[in-house]
Amino acid sequence: MEAVNIQFAPATGTEEEWNEAYARLADYFRSYQLHNRIRRTQLILETLRNAAKAHAVDPTRTPTAHSIEQARFMLREWLGSIYSDLNLNEAQLEATGRLGFHLAGGPSRWPQFFLDEQNMPEDMAEAMRSAIRTSGPGMQVSKMTPRDIDLGMFTDVADDTFDRLGRHPILRYSVLVIIIGSVLGYLYSLFG
Amino acid sequence: MSVPLASQPANIAMTAGMPPKHISRTRRATFFSLVGLGTIVGAWLSYIFLSENGMRISEWGLLLVFIPLYYQLNVGFWTALFGVWLMNRPQPDPLSLWLSLNADDYEQPITASTAIILPVFNEDVTRVYEGLRSIYLSLEATGQSKHFDFFILSDSDKASQWIEEETAWLELCRQLKAFGRIFYRRRRKQINRKSGNVSDFCRRWGKRYRYMVVLDADSLMSGALLTSLVRIMEKNPAIGIVQTFPKQIAADTLLGRVMQFAQALYGPPFMAGLDYWQCGEANFWGHNAILRLAPFIEHCALPPLPANAPFGGHILSHDFVEAALMRKAGYAVRLLPTTRGSYEEGPPTLVDMLKRDRRWCQGNMQHLWLLFAKGWHPMSRINFLHGILSYVSSLLWFFFLVLATLLAATPTPHVKPQAILAEHILLAVTAMLIFLPKTVILLDEVITGRMFKPLRLRLLTFVSSLLDTVVFTLMAPVLMIFHSRFVVYTIIGKSVSWVTQRRKIDGGINWSEILYTFLSVTLLGVAWGVLGWYVSKAFLIWISPILFSLVISILVAALVSSGRSGRRLGFFLTPEEHEPPTVLNNMQQNLKEIKDRIPLSPELERHYGLMQVCLDPYVNGLHVSLLRRRRTIEVSSAYLKEISHRLITQGPQTLNAQELKALMHDTDTVTNLHYRIWSAADHELAPFWATAIRQYNLASTSPFAHTLAKQEVE
Repeated sequence: MEAVNIQFAPATGTEEEWNEAYARLADYFRSYQLHNRIRRTQLILETLRNAAKAHAVDPTRTPTAHSIEQARFMLREWLGSIYSDLNLNEAQLEATGRLGFHLAGGPSRWPQFFLDEQNMPEDMAEAMRSAIRTSGPGMQVSKMTPRDIDLGMFTDVADDTFDRLGRHPILRYSVLVIIIGSVLGYLYSLFG
Repeated sequence: MSVPLASQPANIAMTAGMPPKHISRTRRATFFSLVGLGTIVGAWLSYIFLSENGMRISEWGLLLVFIPLYYQLNVGFWTALFGVWLMNRPQPDPLSLWLSLNADDYEQPITASTAIILPVFNEDVTRVYEGLRSIYLSLEATGQSKHFDFFILSDSDKASQWIEEETAWLELCRQLKAFGRIFYRRRRKQINRKSGNVSDFCRRWGKRYRYMVVLDADSLMSGALLTSLVRIMEKNPAIGIVQTFPKQIAADTLLGRVMQFAQALYGPPFMAGLDYWQCGEANFWGHNAILRLAPFIEHCALPPLPANAPFGGHILSHDFVEAALMRKAGYAVRLLPTTRGSYEEGPPTLVDMLKRDRRWCQGNMQHLWLLFAKGWHPMSRINFLHGILSYVSSLLWFFFLVLATLLAATPTPHVKPQAILAEHILLAVTAMLIFLPKTVILLDEVITGRMFKPLRLRLLTFVSSLLDTVVFTLMAPVLMIFHSRFVVYTIIGKSVSWVTQRRKIDGGINWSEILYTFLSVTLLGVAWGVLGWYVSKAFLIWISPILFSLVISILVAALVSSGRSGRRLGFFLTPEEHEPPTVLNNMQQNLKEIKDRIPLSPELERHYGLMQVCLDPYVNGLHVSLLRRRRTIEVSSAYLKEISHRLITQGPQTLNAQELKALMHDTDTVTNLHYRIWSAADHELAPFWATAIRQYNLASTSPFAHTLAKQEVE
């Protein structure tokens, strides 16, 4: 493992802004489940140095934004060297690569080699490649076509009735009112 | 009959599994003769009593609604008695599917490929995946899991739910080392609900598998039963579907426990009785069943019904229709009476039960279309009819009571000894039809100890059975009113929407929900009581048990929905509670481990999936990878930018479900959200994201396992 170089002197940006960038990067690398603190510190400082250079060129963006962007560049480069033979576009490379690192058990097995292009262990690279080769079962497409059910005479009568009732809610409720009215009328005649 | 010959083992009769016609006919002739006789006798006694002074219109009406109600009562009575007889006779039922397997069969390795599918729709992710884990491990323990694949078929349309399902799938595969064995697929468009989801699976992967086991989100099945089902299908090529008896488990409210107790005690004889007369024309209940895929794909696709919902359109209760189609195609549909290995969960409260019944009611009412369709086996028509009757009978019972009130208001004297005798016999026979099956089943349990061997537990079962009679007597009139309403709603065109079924209560009793739901029933009971008081005091006494239940329906609903379920006193105990099977025990232990964890703030928990996909680089990668193949943008990039900006600056609570879903469907947007949120300064972020960033890494050492137990397989 390389010695941790803690030298960091940004030419632009305030101390408060760089502190915020530092905190964000710490959270960001922790979200990769890198529990190796020394490696995490190395990564944070390396990223901050790159971000400081970028901020000097474009100070309109915050150091935090530059830091995350630099982390993204570093990730792309690192993943590009692992998955160079898979012909993936940028979005696929990032998504697949991150997933591959997780599935290969990278955060626990090789945390010290995360984003380390120079000292990449071959077994890690191979594990990351093979992790994403597993895919679902090949489809064997079959037709599942509904066959008509001959509903008989009931269809014609009922279809017409429901269709008409469905189109005319007033008619529907009228039928209901007539039924209830008839029952009430019958009761009235019974007691009247 | 077009049985796929090539897919079957040699030396097995291709008709194996289809009960011989002469046996089926004899059984049905016996059964329906007794049912018919009972119904005719009841109707005749009723007629003698009513016609003493000539038949008025209201009396004819009463007789008319009485006949189907009495028929239904007789069906239940004789089914239970045949069941008890079958369970107690020295020789096993010659048609029993278990007899088709011998000791050697259990030693043979399983070579038939079987897909176990689990369609889900916004279900509790933890319960679904922990259930799946238990089934998977149970199957592994049989040593015969090699040819089984699992498919989670999601129709979930909530963004967070969707992401949680994906991460749980990945984590479960990782923990179980089951990549290539457990698959996750989410449909982008939820066409035709659950049956559409299953059909979609069949179209894509159906040809790869000989059998398909359909599970529900709350299903649980043991590996032993799953392998037995495959073996039974292999030995019986004429069977298209074998339906197991899913026993209810894991209830923690009074209603749930009473239901699961009743099912454990009365269910097995009823299943045996059903199997006796249904023979090869049993029903499919949609889950915990195995299906032969080739004929299912060829014959069981569902056409839409004429006209629009609620009567027409997409078939809701698809399972009955699929069973009928399978039988029409020449394959048997069999019921496998089982007491262990097949489980499901029931609704926790009365309101949840009614919501479920509303859907089932509409689904069964739709079968009116199919009742007179051409080509069905007559038994399939009877199955449809019984399904319809199970809800329409409530309306008939309601009419019966209304007409009885009317007759009480306009009384005619009953003085002839013949009429009075008929009335007394009818009352006695009706009481026998209602209570004798329960009594016989209870006596059978007390004597044989099928559920429990210790005498103390048998006595507790006896007392519990008396108590459950009280609970069901109080609930029955309330269910009658609601089922009647549901039938009327369906007739006047009120359709139901597809909602997720609640399977656990989150907190205490929801009084506002109960009041809102049952106040009208209480008022109806009071009004009916006042009317009865004016009409006839004797009549009021006669109808008072029903009216009393209606009046106190609010209290009953609250009582049965509470967590005071009698468990502490040992009431309503089931064998699964007393000695949980391994498959259930494993799941419950894992669920407990997850429940005991310290939760995040409610806001973060509510949007956990969304938070993960935006913040976690691995979850983000997983989601984008799963989206990759179907990159079709249906909305404009300006719209996506606008809602992304709102999500970041104002938080997820400002976006509706459609907007969140649109974001999650676009690969570039999901990738960019991840970097934009991490890149934004604190003051640019909504408070939700500022909190989420601070808490995400602290919340869990393994965010993938947030909804899962940490149980790695060695």
